[in-house]
Amino acid sequence: MNSTIEVEGLTKTFSPENRAVDAVSFKVGEGEVFSLLGPNGAGKTTTIRMLTTVTSITEGKAMVGGYDVREDPGAVRGLIGVVPQEVTLDNELKGMENLLLTAKLCRVPDQTAKSKARDLLRLVELEDSANRRVGTYSGGMKRRLQLVTALIHNPRVLFLDEPTVGLDIQTRTKIWDYIGHLNRDQGLTILMTTHYLEEADKLSDIVAIMDHGVIKVSGSPSDLKESLHGDVLTVAVEDGGEDLTRFLRSVPSVTEVTHVDHSYRLKLPKVESALPAIIASIASRNLRITETSFSKPTLDQVFLEVTGRSMRDAQEANGHSSNGGSYAAAHRSEAK
Amino acid sequence: MIVESLALGKRSLTKWARNPFAVIATSLQALFWLALFGNSFSPANAFTSTAGGSLGALQQAFSGAPNYITFLTPGVVGIVALVGMSFQGVDLVFDRITGYIDLLRAFPIPRTSIYFGGVVQNIGKGMVATPIAFLLALVVPNGLRLADGFGVINVIGVLATMAVLTTVFSMFFTGLAMSVKSTDSFFGAINFLTFPIMFASTAFFPLSFFPAWLKPIAQANPISLACDAMRLLLVNGSLSVSQASAFLWDWAGLLVYGVVFAALGITMARNALRAR
Repeated sequence: MNSTIEVEGLTKTFSPENRAVDAVSFKVGEGEVFSLLGPNGAGKTTTIRMLTTVTSITEGKAMVGGYDVREDPGAVRGLIGVVPQEVTLDNELKGMENLLLTAKLCRVPDQTAKSKARDLLRLVELEDSANRRVGTYSGGMKRRLQLVTALIHNPRVLFLDEPTVGLDIQTRTKIWDYIGHLNRDQGLTILMTTHYLEEADKLSDIVAIMDHGVIKVSGSPSDLKESLHGDVLTVAVEDGGEDLTRFLRSVPSVTEVTHVDHSYRLKLPKVESALPAIIASIASRNLRITETSFSKPTLDQVFLEVTGRSMRDAQEANGHSSNGGSYAAAHRSEAK
Repeated sequence: MIVESLALGKRSLTKWARNPFAVIATSLQALFWLALFGNSFSPANAFTSTAGGSLGALQQAFSGAPNYITFLTPGVVGIVALVGMSFQGVDLVFDRITGYIDLLRAFPIPRTSIYFGGVVQNIGKGMVATPIAFLLALVVPNGLRLADGFGVINVIGVLATMAVLTTVFSMFFTGLAMSVKSTDSFFGAINFLTFPIMFASTAFFPLSFFPAWLKPIAQANPISLACDAMRLLLVNGSLSVSQASAFLWDWAGLLVYGVVFAALGITMARNALRAR
């Protein structure tokens, strides 16, 4: 697959002590959704800001759409659309006016711009609100409009910085649907940052887990989860004892068994295929199962595995609220 | 670059026009200067006492204006241009804080169009506010009295002078607004600059009122240059050769300011927009 984005040793240093992005390398194939997942302060937004030509690159190389970000930033800007985390729409302008302003700035011919704007407003179900001032929109409507504003000039690559931060779950789900649609139906290459695990899991072809400016691990969400070697099955059994522990360890697909009180925690590659046999074997030993539960591996567990802390702990350790670390906030911290 | 600058200028002007309070506040500022300051300032009363005879020495000192508000009107235009152009830049400061300028930096547009967009919107607002100041001067008590023979050429000359002064200030203050990093720095810088520019000018008093050390500064002040040029057109219907020459010198001075402030403004804006 051709790479639309290629990053090699990308580094951003604001001061000798502040290495915001540290020798990051990755590739994003054409039509892929690539997510940088990590807590606030991980370096995700700074990476996007370098790739969108807003922040200078200290070291390393970045190519977007075949153009070198350092050498030919103007050509890169012609290929990309950017959706910052903060809403940058004009409240006093109408929805349609906001779109047409961006179209004018991107030199989209007036007639094309109008029909494209109508299509985009329809896509995000805002056509009935097109002639209302944006100041009267809800937060979710503004975010939907912001998303399509970045598409008015048909960019090849879309950069999304925390596209659903601060939104309720219904609106977030809708935005996911739009992003999925743009990727599937229009073949748009998307690079997004997020600290929502389920967002990265649902939307991404490739997830790169980032922490302290470094990509710790990357791969497809399913590969990353499979790398944890399996699901976890918990069975509570009356009077099981060590005999049962030995028996469970002998089941071929089980890789690990831990026994605490009446609970047996089994690690195995695919719980669905092994579950009936395990239950039947326990029952055949005349033991009574009082509870069973199982969990699939999550990206949070992957994050825990590679960073030694959970996403929630990482967020709290960085002292950020759920909407910190924005595109503009990054700029403000750079400017200090 | 022109298309993008005009589009960005139109964006700000549309927002401004849809906010009636901003438009009314800008217009009322001129009214307060003219009606309150213009009528309460004592030299206006001194002029009245000299009525009925030849121009008194005081009246001659005030450019031969028949009353104080006629003298003050170009000064108010200059103040409206100065204060308007300086404070309107706050839009750009907020655009920077909200991330809009960063977004524009990722757009396929020349980055200097962000600066010129700011200049365009400032000039647009200034060219609404300054003629309103003139119209208000005609209707306030003891207001502006136009010279005999004041005609279309004078109107064009006054409007053109307003436009040049507005542009001069806009060039500088737009660059300044783009280079500051917070509203506190912006308002601090504006307050620091506007008061000396305003009071070290002939907006309120003739040059002869200034102490010797301040005279060259006041004379070279862009507000003074614009005021002197406009006063020549208001007080004299048609200009003599020496008056026309003085008018052209004032204009030449304003154009020099235009070039210097444009260079300064563009440099400040480019520096602020550079990727760091």
